[in-house]
Amino acid sequence: MNSISRRHFLKLAGATTALIAASPTLKAQALPGRVVVVGGGFGGATAAKYLRHWGGGGIAVTLVEMNPNHVSCILSNLVLNNSLSLPKITFNYEALKSKYGVTVVQGQAVGVSGKQLLLGSGSSLPFDRLIVAPGIDFDFQAIGVRDPANVLHAWKAGPQTLQLRDQLRNMTAGNSFVLTIPPAPYRCPPGPYERACLVADYLKKNKPGSKIIVLDANPGIVAEKETFTKAFTQTHLGVVEYHPGVVVTAVNALAKTITYTENGLSRTLTPAANQGKVGILNVLPPQTAGRLAFNLGLVPAGQKWAPVNALTYESAVVPGIHVIGDAQSTPKPNTGSGQPKSGHIANAEAKVCADAILRAFAGEGPDPAPMTNSSCYSPITASTASWLTATFAYDASNNATMVAVPASAGEASAPTSDNYEEMFDWAANLFADTFA
Amino acid sequence: MTISNYHAITLIITSLGLGISSGASAAPPPGRLLASQCAQCHGTDGRAVGDMDSLRGESAGEIYDELQEMKYSAKTNDIMHRQAKGYTDQQLWLIATYYAGLSNRGGSGSNTAAGTGDHEEDDDD
Repeated sequence: MNSISRRHFLKLAGATTALIAASPTLKAQALPGRVVVVGGGFGGATAAKYLRHWGGGGIAVTLVEMNPNHVSCILSNLVLNNSLSLPKITFNYEALKSKYGVTVVQGQAVGVSGKQLLLGSGSSLPFDRLIVAPGIDFDFQAIGVRDPANVLHAWKAGPQTLQLRDQLRNMTAGNSFVLTIPPAPYRCPPGPYERACLVADYLKKNKPGSKIIVLDANPGIVAEKETFTKAFTQTHLGVVEYHPGVVVTAVNALAKTITYTENGLSRTLTPAANQGKVGILNVLPPQTAGRLAFNLGLVPAGQKWAPVNALTYESAVVPGIHVIGDAQSTPKPNTGSGQPKSGHIANAEAKVCADAILRAFAGEGPDPAPMTNSSCYSPITASTASWLTATFAYDASNNATMVAVPASAGEASAPTSDNYEEMFDWAANLFADTFA
Repeated sequence: MTISNYHAITLIITSLGLGISSGASAAPPPGRLLASQCAQCHGTDGRAVGDMDSLRGESAGEIYDELQEMKYSAKTNDIMHRQAKGYTDQQLWLIATYYAGLSNRGGSGSNTAAGTGDHEEDDDD
């Protein structure tokens, strides 16, 4: 691998619309199925695309999305250290429309009535099957946030990503960057540790005397444990201060104060010189399924995610509605690891779901042995990266769910510059498979 | 992996009738869903962008050979070693034959009239 990769990536990412085939003509046929997909992230966009790609002109697919573009969380930590600009990871839905014949409606889904999806505009969309991919929502209450509107999480890429980048750029040298990590499961298991590494790398080069304080709600590093342990204790020694097993109890985002308990002791960090010199308070709140999943009754009382059938991603609560991506949860395996929440595997789940729906329209049952996989590259510095991968197989005898194939699960033995270049090839292909 | 192994696996798969085709006309081609799991990194229908290897233009034997080599390689610090370990040999053969089939038909795996742009050059690396 060489430096061509990155140039390719930047060229490809910037020219998504140029990849679109010109002037498609779609066959007018009797429609055996109407599918409405809500949410245009990695899960929703992939489902809409593949339903048409595989199902052909006979399947009417409408994608409902609030925003005109999707800003990818994947690679977005590289915006923080100025390695990428936001437009390079921003994707529109033109290819889904022109190349695949997906109808795209910019709007907000507010409810379901019978076989109609109700939109905020007052109109409604009829469906035979509904797929919802609402992503995540934040539970600010769980960590005592006084002012949710002021919380800077940058865990949904977009304006907050730029805000965090600018705060980092403008932070006074010697001040601290405080990052909180929510209890698992949350979106992108290695993501917070990756962010800690990139911020540490940036601080070393640009903010002498500054450090990043990581307050992790989990008992230890959740993903790529060897890689990030080494990064925190060797590569970024003295710049990362890692605290596992932390319970955050109060946050004032505007004042940049945070109170937490660690080993039974309560401590408060503030911008004051003797209380941690907090310059940036980057809180990743505890997470739940996106609000729409709750509004549609897909999340049972007291739970946080929408349970689904692992063969079809059909809701375990409401028949005819499928949930894919971060918002869903396949059953927990009795032994072994289940699927994580990430854009890469949301794309994988979307294909399983699309295939199952097309088979259902044809009067068939789902593929009895679906596979998914989750792979990602995590930058450790501005020029090196690690990787993490696992393949998941359906196991009827293990709680009828997706289970990691043990031999397939692994992480890179060391962060390298080759991995850093391959990261852009991985991302460019994932972006293209989803949006182009 | 030798040619005779391919034949053995082909026979096994053929004799199983692939298990997933119920005879309905709309049955998806065998291996399609499995193969689509490669697309996150190797492109929709195996047409990769950038420096990633495309799966188009290779015979089933070539693809299967490469997957076997990676699966049983002693070089375990490799993302494709891990990926290949995730699948049975039968699954890898289904994936290989699906991509080879797309190449042979010159098709895109698409059922839409718009297709996915077969004007693109098949990348044989």
